[in-house]
Amino acid sequence: MPPFVLVTPITVEAAIAELRTGAPGEVAVLAGGTDLMFDLDGAKAAPRRVVSLRRLPWRTADWNGPVLTVGSTLSLRSLERDPELAKQHPGFLQAIRAVGSVQLRHRATLGGNLGRAAPASDLIPILLALDAEVDLVGPSGSRSLPVDQFVLGARRTALASGELIRSVRFPEPRPSTYLWQRVRPANDISQIAVATAYSPSDGRWRLAVGGIPPRALRLPEAEAMLRSSSPADADVRSAADRAARHLVITTDRRASEEYRRHLVGTLLERAVRSTATASKGGR
Amino acid sequence: MTSASLVLTVNGRPRPLEDVPSSERLLDTVRWRFGLKGTKEGCRSGDCGACTVLVDGVSTLSCLTLTHEVEGSSLTTIEGMADDPVGRAVQEAFDRAGALQCGYCTPGFVIALVGLLRERGQDAPVEELLADLGGNLCRCTGYVSIARAVSLLQKEAP
Repeated sequence: MPPFVLVTPITVEAAIAELRTGAPGEVAVLAGGTDLMFDLDGAKAAPRRVVSLRRLPWRTADWNGPVLTVGSTLSLRSLERDPELAKQHPGFLQAIRAVGSVQLRHRATLGGNLGRAAPASDLIPILLALDAEVDLVGPSGSRSLPVDQFVLGARRTALASGELIRSVRFPEPRPSTYLWQRVRPANDISQIAVATAYSPSDGRWRLAVGGIPPRALRLPEAEAMLRSSSPADADVRSAADRAARHLVITTDRRASEEYRRHLVGTLLERAVRSTATASKGGR
Repeated sequence: MTSASLVLTVNGRPRPLEDVPSSERLLDTVRWRFGLKGTKEGCRSGDCGACTVLVDGVSTLSCLTLTHEVEGSSLTTIEGMADDPVGRAVQEAFDRAGALQCGYCTPGFVIALVGLLRERGQDAPVEELLADLGGNLCRCTGYVSIARAVSLLQKEAP
């Protein structure tokens, strides 16, 4: 691994100042490090300065009425073990458990997963379906962005120079489901993943798909075809078919285009049915 | 800093270290500075679990962890399991079930399972423990006997 300077600021202000000490690409942000480690290994342009966030006070999960706020450096495993999560956001729990292994989730973080914006992220699709908001803090203050305006492409985000992800907010509990397909079920990367959620407050569905580069997407046309909390089987089938036919999907080393289209349809149908059943049961 | 001194507690004993580069991985610190070769290097990319150690009791991939990121922590490796009642029980279960062939993955499995039992309690359901061991690979594919060791352990739990 090429040498780099590791700094561990103890205040948010100091962390932001550290980020501004070099050009983008020269300074890297370290949360859990489970993904960044591959960059530090130096195949690509390796950063010369690494800013660790481990001393910042962001390892929290706060339940405030309907709103869940997850601090960006909380370990995914801690979040997974919060007993409220299974009740309020069952699909989010399924998605977290799809990330790596227990050992990996002990260090991996939600902020890291979002900030690194891997095309096959197992968390971004469910964040889209839950209308999560990303809270940022930077040299000119704080701002928030919806996830679909934060993740711009493969490994590309709306983070400005000197900005950090402080937390991610989930506005309301929703019946939700996350399903995926992989070569190996455990500790692998999803060929296709789908996230579905039904919002009781506005009576509308959110559908999202992941595993297709460059980034996870919402499926507004398919969403509009689902008109109630328990849509008719034919409507579910049509919505899933539409998504499977119209998405721009490519073949890569993980799966062929044809197989991915098949998966989008099948997994969406199953996920919508599962979410609909959960919403009938009160959640 | 590009290198610095730090202290880790390793299997109960404080171990000061000098001149550790920022880029050093915990796996390399454990194997080459402490000489604890029970912790194995498998994939070096977080896929196989062979390098699993406990950091403050929590199972961690030492290949994806910078040593400086865990400074001041208490580290437990397979060599420390002899002093740990849960560690001894897990190793005895692996022994009785014949849950190893070449043995390369065994330290990682034992540590991961000890971590799970500490986290979940001794009465965690076997199926859930097995699912949570999904991050450990056995390249001999001896999973049936590893699963048997987990069942043995849970049957005998008080």
